[in-house]
Amino acid sequence: MAEEARALPAVDERSVPFFEAAERGVLALQRCEACRKFLHPVRGRCTGCGDTRIAWVDSSGRGRIWSHGRLRRSYLPEHEGKLPLALVWVELEEQVRFASRMATGEDATLRTGDRVAVVFERLADGTAVPVFRREA
Amino acid sequence: MSSTHPLSGRTAITGLGMTELGRVYGRSATDFAVDAVLRALADAGLAKADLDGLLLNAGISQGIDLSLAQAIGLPGLRLQTQMNGFGSSAGQMVGYAAMAVNAGLAKHVACVFADAPLVAGSRAGQAYGGARAGARRGVMSVAPALGFVGPIPYYALHAQRHMDLYGTTQDQLGAISLTSRAWARKNPLATLREPLDLAGYHASPWIVEPFHVLDCCLVSNGAICVIVSAAEHARDLAKPPVYVRGLAQAHQLEWDDEAPSLAQRSSAAAFAMAGCGARDITLAELYDCYTFTVITTLEDYGFCKRGEGGPFAQSGALGPGGRLPTNTGGGMLSGYYMWGMTPISEAVIQARGDGGERQAPRTDLIAVSGNGGIFNYHATLVLSPHAR
Repeated sequence: MAEEARALPAVDERSVPFFEAAERGVLALQRCEACRKFLHPVRGRCTGCGDTRIAWVDSSGRGRIWSHGRLRRSYLPEHEGKLPLALVWVELEEQVRFASRMATGEDATLRTGDRVAVVFERLADGTAVPVFRREA
Repeated sequence: MSSTHPLSGRTAITGLGMTELGRVYGRSATDFAVDAVLRALADAGLAKADLDGLLLNAGISQGIDLSLAQAIGLPGLRLQTQMNGFGSSAGQMVGYAAMAVNAGLAKHVACVFADAPLVAGSRAGQAYGGARAGARRGVMSVAPALGFVGPIPYYALHAQRHMDLYGTTQDQLGAISLTSRAWARKNPLATLREPLDLAGYHASPWIVEPFHVLDCCLVSNGAICVIVSAAEHARDLAKPPVYVRGLAQAHQLEWDDEAPSLAQRSSAAAFAMAGCGARDITLAELYDCYTFTVITTLEDYGFCKRGEGGPFAQSGALGPGGRLPTNTGGGMLSGYYMWGMTPISEAVIQARGDGGERQAPRTDLIAVSGNGGIFNYHATLVLSPHAR
């Protein structure tokens, strides 16, 4: 019935620049070249002005915690033995809400509004993924 | 209190069909759907030949499709389609059916939801959340890999934001869970009927903090169908009509604290159609995919102010004997999970006065909500035993 759950990211044609930037330690986002709106998730047209000139640019990687929670039950084999995971929804300076988690070992009590910055960790298959660390 | 809207009170729910609901194994979603439609027709006192419209909504298992008409044996349909607005689907189906019967495009329209995601021995969360994780690719596959599997984390984080911004407490989320259980104990159809106290709520396993298992709805097999008819064709049928006084939808791209929420817009439009305000509503059947969804919907619908949903739930107002009985069948938290058909079916039972031990005293104006996506899709109905 259910297709097998996948715990690792699946790179597709459109997302190659995102994962290449991650290898450089950069959180890349799409931006509309016409109206400068940042787009997330990946789009073929600007969701504001409708322009098709979309470029990948380096984001600031900085933002504030929009909200947070702690994953306590594992639904995927990848998460077994790693719980709890400190999940965060980060409102980036680019006005994009990005779902991720805090970096491994970042166990501080989180509050909505806390400042965070991106760092990168590698998953079991070697994929670099953006996670966050609290800023002073 | 009166409405001038041309659709208000012109449509009625005339039939209700509910199969066995819950951990019922060995039957397909199609089997359940056929059963629900036939039960709804019998309830209304209609024959298959009287039915000329069919709207259907398949749940997470996607087990029904347009071949349902063949499975039932409905030769003369004038209106038929498959719809999906996730948790808002049921309210949307009733809305489209109301437009169709008032435009003369159909006389009696069956709206059916069916799902059978549970198989014997499976865990509900695995059957539901786990099923979706592998579907994402590209940048959108990062979040599941980091722990955002299925819808629960997103709702849990919405709840945590509400707690951080407004001081909503874990006990207040628990109050919703306890209220649902108190009602479910009076409902023979409910899945979870054993007593529950606050200690029991806190002791239930964590899923994603701030959500325990008991903050999350059930997963159920089964089907529910309602028959929607124009008011002038409703009065001679077997059961008292339940009139649709107001209906609306609203949708949003993502939650934005700076803008009116989708549920605010949807309820305001539906209440305006009904010619009423939030204070006129005597009974609420709210989509409770999570405890927090009820808290925010109470605020969005205007039953209390923004940020006060938690204390409102804790006050006892929502439970048996309270001033706004809410989710009187136990909702989806303790009753059964049939997406938007859970609140609609309970509203019909209450409006008819068939609630038995759980019958609410005042059913004049019943607010019914449906919520889908991560607060992306919403539908509101205002139902009543009275046409005006």
